[in-house]
Amino acid sequence: MKRLSELPAWLRWSLYAAGGVLLLTVVQTLEGTDRLTSVTSAQSMLRWAIPILLAGLGGLYSERAGVVNIGLEGMMILGTWFGAWGAITYGAWWGIVAGIIGGALGGLLHAVATVTFGVDHIISGVAVNILAPGITRFLSSEILTNIPGGSITQSPRVPGVGSATIPFLAGGTIGNWTTPDLFGWLGTREWFFISDFANLLKGVMTRVSWVTLIAVLLVPLTAWLLWRTRFGLRLRICGERPEAGEAQGIDVYRYKYIGVVISGALAGMAGAFIASPELSGIYLEGQTTGRGFIGLAALIFGNWRPIGVLGGALLFGYPFGIGLRDLDGSASHGLILVNAIGLAAVAIWAFTRSKRTDTVLALALSGIFALWYFTTDVVPDVWINILPFVIVLLVLIFFAQRLRPPAADGLRYRKGQT
Amino acid sequence: MALAIELIGITKRFPGVVANDHVELKVEEGEIHAICGENGAGKSTLMKVLYWMLQADEGTMNVFGQEVRFASPTEAIGAGIGMVHQHFMLADQLTVLENVILGAEPVHALGLIDFDEAKDHLKKVAESYGLFIDPDDLVEELEVGERQRVEIIKVLYRGAKILILDEPTAVLVPQEVEELFRNMRDLKKDGATILFIDHKLDEVLAIADTITVLRQGQSVATVKPDQVTAQDLAELMVGSELPTPETTESTVRDEVALEVSGLTVIDQDERVIVDDVSFRVRRGEVLGIAGVEGNGQTELIEAVIGTSPAARGIVTLNGADVTRATVRHRREQGIGYIPQDRHREGLLLPAPLWENAALGHQTQQPFSKGIWMDRQGARQRTEDIRREFDVRTPDVDVPAHALSGGNQQKLIVGREMMAEPSVLLAAHPTRGIDVGAQAAVWEDIKAARRAGMATLLVSADLDELIGLSDTIVVMLRGRIVATLDPATVTPRDLGAFMTGATSAGAA
Ligand SMILES: Nc1ncnc2c1ncn2[C@@H]1O[C@H](COP(=O)(O)OP(=O)(O)OP(=O)(O)O)[C@@H](O)[C@H]1O
Ligand SMILES: [Mg+2]
Repeated sequence: MKRLSELPAWLRWSLYAAGGVLLLTVVQTLEGTDRLTSVTSAQSMLRWAIPILLAGLGGLYSERAGVVNIGLEGMMILGTWFGAWGAITYGAWWGIVAGIIGGALGGLLHAVATVTFGVDHIISGVAVNILAPGITRFLSSEILTNIPGGSITQSPRVPGVGSATIPFLAGGTIGNWTTPDLFGWLGTREWFFISDFANLLKGVMTRVSWVTLIAVLLVPLTAWLLWRTRFGLRLRICGERPEAGEAQGIDVYRYKYIGVVISGALAGMAGAFIASPELSGIYLEGQTTGRGFIGLAALIFGNWRPIGVLGGALLFGYPFGIGLRDLDGSASHGLILVNAIGLAAVAIWAFTRSKRTDTVLALALSGIFALWYFTTDVVPDVWINILPFVIVLLVLIFFAQRLRPPAADGLRYRKGQT
Repeated sequence: MALAIELIGITKRFPGVVANDHVELKVEEGEIHAICGENGAGKSTLMKVLYWMLQADEGTMNVFGQEVRFASPTEAIGAGIGMVHQHFMLADQLTVLENVILGAEPVHALGLIDFDEAKDHLKKVAESYGLFIDPDDLVEELEVGERQRVEIIKVLYRGAKILILDEPTAVLVPQEVEELFRNMRDLKKDGATILFIDHKLDEVLAIADTITVLRQGQSVATVKPDQVTAQDLAELMVGSELPTPETTESTVRDEVALEVSGLTVIDQDERVIVDDVSFRVRRGEVLGIAGVEGNGQTELIEAVIGTSPAARGIVTLNGADVTRATVRHRREQGIGYIPQDRHREGLLLPAPLWENAALGHQTQQPFSKGIWMDRQGARQRTEDIRREFDVRTPDVDVPAHALSGGNQQKLIVGREMMAEPSVLLAAHPTRGIDVGAQAAVWEDIKAARRAGMATLLVSADLDELIGLSDTIVVMLRGRIVATLDPATVTPRDLGAFMTGATSAGAA
């Protein structure tokens, strides 16, 4: 364990991923299904992961600047509406831009309240979450109802920005030439684990939306921006020790504003993505279903680091993606076994570190999941939708213990009070 | 000689307080100039005005003969002024390098920080003054003396010619103070001008070229160290005599109030921080713990109060095992706690004084009435603390950050002492408190000790440690390495034990 934590982040996360896939493969073999590691499962995982990733990265910018942003959900809602409206009126790419602007406005509101007026961050965030659906409802009644096919709760069809398949690895085309499909070939070999891994990789590389590509590229970009540039250092000092920044003549308020507005912009982009054909292809009231909050969960799971947020987004996106296509409840049934085994592993790990409460809790939960698994054949409808949230909760319970949030995260900061 | 700084008629008002009242100050180029004055005299405020973190309401300021008017510290830094604050301004989770370059980052195109250049520059600055530090260390892993070095490097990195050091020695043990003074003399040799604040008058007399005394916001005297004694200085500051802590006859009784056996604390990275420590403190006894900071004293105290868990060992309070008890339970059983870092663990800076006075005692009289806070009682108690411990404040509704550093400390000491604890855990109880008030705190601890209070005392001030303790133990790398008798030990011997220069058993 100790040596693992000394590895570079990307390698460590790759190993975690490999471990996860191995677990899925084993369960899949026991369960006699192929849905856990199919190409389409990976595709829907990625689609679900993107809004979570964007919201999580949004939260990262805000919290690194010291402002807790639980208003991500509201900003995402603004993004769905503006994204749909922009795409319908001006075209797909403008939809993304409009979504970003809509979310950024939500962020600006949060910044004004928390930074300028010193309102408690949670209160302001909740206010944004309450306000956003009201605003979109109002805008719908004023604008969407005048568009053919639109109503007060939904829009007509939203156009998408298009997608691409990665050449060579997943058989994408260059010009008219269809390149070889490495992972596709590996995936059909039926080699234990290797084929499963290849399928999942092919899934995340097939018909990838351009927005998805941008979102994934934002991960290294964010890491670079926050840890390599002057802007990033100054933004981070606002989340760690704003007084220290102030003493060096840094305009803390300005950086907090920038952080929170970027945060809103990314949440808005997530919203626009949800409304795009990648996930919905329509604006529909209430369609974000708490993904802003799950973005926050990914942020926490990822220990306030970009690559960790990506890990969290994929991890949380997976059960949602599985649940989405699981009409008969058999794939979710497999997930239950995954949970049982995962929790048992946690119990062993906790035991070796003599964490008594964790051990007992994980063991008990593992037992419950195992019992559930062996006494049923499928997961009933309601549980298919609830299960992913349960998984998010479990992950946070056991993995959110040794975290390092920015030291001044969520604290009210006033100039000249040191 | 030319003047580096001249302040003429500087006045700074806060609601209800005139912190600086037409202050006059002349600092010559290349001198070490000390500012003395009791808590709340306006020293820190004056320094912040000089650094333009605060804007003066009246008065003018000349730097190297030129009248200046700045908008922010950035411009003051540009004019060659640098400040090390009374409370460190460092981000724990950032590296030394990041903390140092902040606000003065060398950059490539696109705002990309040139870390190589930054590191070179830092190393050059650090080496030329013998300030050794690894730029890649996280600040949280550093000991207090090292943190201070980072703060000083931070100022030098910007090429400051005028250095302001606000109470730099308060957190240091004597060896570290000597090292700091050596650095200050080196800086002076290189032509730097240094302004510094210190409550320890013998230190002031040892290093300063000129001393300016502030009293209630006014500059009352400027003297040369060879013309005055510590006694004279104290009289100028507070109009009272200079106290010395001296041992009174033992009041140790038989009943054990606090017993710790086999206590071991392990940190997140699984390093052993406190290693199998055992001791007893009886009623009426003061057990002093000596040690350079970072040798486990803090963690030991935290394990006794319960804020960090003990991996092994037993803590017994007045006969009851409290090893697994919550902090609140231990508090309610009569533990008083003066934490070492008043900002981090002692106060809620934005909250009013009366709320701060209730911290840690919120479930007890006179702060609570059933499940409710008793605001009336809390206010009354805060007024009592203010009176008895001489906390200088316009009223008890001001936020804690509006108090001067020493007055914040007095509030904490007052809060704990007024609750009449049976066991007091005191980490640097008089840190940042002026000489007059320090004597009062010592008297208070002695009175409580006569009444049966058991005290665990950690202090960097060896005179305080020797003067108050009935027994002294020395901690080194998490272990108790010596048990000494304060009646016979000298600060010099103690220092040798603390650094491990002398090992061996007891005296
Ligand atoms: N931000 C503030 N708001 C209101 N009052 C303040 C503020 N800062 C300082 N004061 C008041 O100004 C006075 C001078 O404070 P200052 O911090 O300069 O004292 P000091 O001489 O540094 O004392 P110490 O030795 O205790 O550090 C005090 O009465 C304090 O209460
Ligand atoms: Mg001060």
